[in-house]
Amino acid sequence: MRTSRTLGLVMIAPAAIMIFLFFLMPVMLTAIFAMTNMSTATGISGGAWQVTQGAINRLKTDMPELATGIAEPRFVIDEEGLAALEGLKLKAGFTTELRASHMGEVFPSRREAERVIKALKDRPSTREVKQISDLFNRSVLNTRFETRDDLMASLKKLGFTLTPAEQETVSKATYTGWVWTAENFRILANSPDMAQIFLNTAFYVSVTLLLFNVTYALFLAITTHYMPASTASVFRAIWLLPRITPVVIYVLLWKWLTWDSGFISMFMGQFGYPPKNYLLDSAYNAWFFVILINGFIGASMGMLVFSSAIKAIPQTQFHASEVDGASRWQQVRHIILPQLRWPILFVTCYQTLSLLASFNEILLSTRGGPGKATEVWSLAAFHTALNNYTGNLEYGLGAAMALVLVVVGIVLSLIYLRIFRYDTLISKPLIED
Amino acid sequence: MAEKPQTSANFSSVPVILLLSLFSLPLLVMYAYLFIDTISDTEVGSLIPSEFTLRHWSFLWETKTGKPNIWLVTLNTFIFASCITGVILTVASMAGYVLSRLNVPARGFFLAGVMVLHAFPSVTLIIAIFIVLQWIGLYNSLIGVILVKAAIDLPLGIWLMKGFYDTVPWEIEMAGTVDGASRFTVWRRLVLPQIKPAMMALGLFSFLTGWSEFILPQVLAPGAKVQVLSVYLASLIIDDNNFDFGTFKAVGVFYVVPVLILYVFFQKHLMNIYGGGTKG
Repeated sequence: MRTSRTLGLVMIAPAAIMIFLFFLMPVMLTAIFAMTNMSTATGISGGAWQVTQGAINRLKTDMPELATGIAEPRFVIDEEGLAALEGLKLKAGFTTELRASHMGEVFPSRREAERVIKALKDRPSTREVKQISDLFNRSVLNTRFETRDDLMASLKKLGFTLTPAEQETVSKATYTGWVWTAENFRILANSPDMAQIFLNTAFYVSVTLLLFNVTYALFLAITTHYMPASTASVFRAIWLLPRITPVVIYVLLWKWLTWDSGFISMFMGQFGYPPKNYLLDSAYNAWFFVILINGFIGASMGMLVFSSAIKAIPQTQFHASEVDGASRWQQVRHIILPQLRWPILFVTCYQTLSLLASFNEILLSTRGGPGKATEVWSLAAFHTALNNYTGNLEYGLGAAMALVLVVVGIVLSLIYLRIFRYDTLISKPLIED
Repeated sequence: MAEKPQTSANFSSVPVILLLSLFSLPLLVMYAYLFIDTISDTEVGSLIPSEFTLRHWSFLWETKTGKPNIWLVTLNTFIFASCITGVILTVASMAGYVLSRLNVPARGFFLAGVMVLHAFPSVTLIIAIFIVLQWIGLYNSLIGVILVKAAIDLPLGIWLMKGFYDTVPWEIEMAGTVDGASRFTVWRRLVLPQIKPAMMALGLFSFLTGWSEFILPQVLAPGAKVQVLSVYLASLIIDDNNFDFGTFKAVGVFYVVPVLILYVFFQKHLMNIYGGGTKG
């Protein structure tokens, strides 16, 4: 008993660790990221506090006075600046006098600060005045603060006294890192773009599934069933090609077929039609080819599953019906189809998941175009989070979109588990040691 | 397949064969031209090649500016696919045995989990995985993407291995344990040799899916040093400055030929697995 248990745990450990690291953790992380506004701009680790022009614009509505105040340069005579001034090795009198009579003064603009410096007894030159005033520039605009307290301390030094509530607003407006938010889900629920993508996805999945993954696969399985074995294996091999061909080449072939210098254009050219890009010239054509490209791959799985299911039907049923004079159609209708109910359900379930999640083919062929005509949910998530033209990758929003798929995926796989009757698959070990 | 119902003389299979041939025509045309176009030039506006040329194959001996060397890329692809195969075979053959034969706590739960994950569309997790790899510093490395790809294919592998182990008769293990061998020795010496053909099928399958994989290396390891053939070919195609279908197809043929060879020789093995449910 004991040894087999330990051995079992040791042998299953690598699988458990890998599944934990690359399935369970990513699922949880997808959920976590979905509740943040992470993007290229915020970075994925922490952030800092920075008074950017954008932050000032955000502050303008709530605290207009402070916003304009921060935006302007501020000049403070402080110990730090004086030390720097000593370092410049100008006349020593400057430092002594500034320390003695102006220590701690705050000037709201460069002009006022320079007026004081100019009035120093040692008469600095215009160049020196500029040099000195720079040392006392304590403007927070575009300065990076590593912590919130640093920012608040600087603001205080500049003469802005803020209540805790105001501090909170300022800190929020100036923080550059990511924060927790439910905004992503609001966008998913309300944006008309998302509604369009949702409809696209529903259209794409249902049409491909219905026409190819089920109907055409059934057609292939049944027709090859009635063929001589050698012919049947040729056709099965041909229809497996799309599945075994690496996706990049497979889509390349379709591109060649539909390109404006490709096969269809050349072929139609023989009849006087001008060449055009059949893949991308209209949304209608784009959908047509997207569904063909995916459908041709999808048909093969159904074909194999249905073929083996048909092979499992006792031959006597066919012979008996033949003797009774049944037509081929009657055989299909009354013998084959009723016995394929479970395989069909299995394929439907399985392929719904695959179609929902796979965006390889669309990405490589139309990239969701023309415009956004063939943008489906998984591709949109990919575009949002990992690859878009504006360059700001919105990980948070993308993760929220992926989370929707993850949830759908989990629900559908659980249904799939029920269909499989998994409880019958696990038998008690016979050796007890 | 030999005992197919060649049922009656009443029906001819010629019409269906013709119909199916018509449907298969686009595929046949695409694959025929895939090979023809790599060794020939065709005049604009014509479908019939006019002359023989090898210039499309020049990528084999000249490295294009801004692109990695094709042999490095091929080596990467080979390493990528082989490592995935190794990891999947090792991990799945152990886990499958446990699920099939050994008494461990939560065995049923684990099996259910494997089944759910097998159907689960794992590519939806790519955003989270991308960020995780960046955090732990495995972004843009072969190791990272190998681990991810192997893990994603693992549930299917475990599931298949469990099925294969189920067909091995218990008597073999009984005999082994009665003779005093430990369960581990029994597995290693007696059971594993029984499922060699299955291991071979799973290994081939893993190698082929690794060889063909596009989106994971594209997102997780796009750098020139770790590029694999699918990413290399995709980057050629997307580069608008050098648009040349002849070259694309030559690279494509170079990339697809190993797949076709393996497929032709081991079709029987692979059919079982493809039918057993892969994604796509």
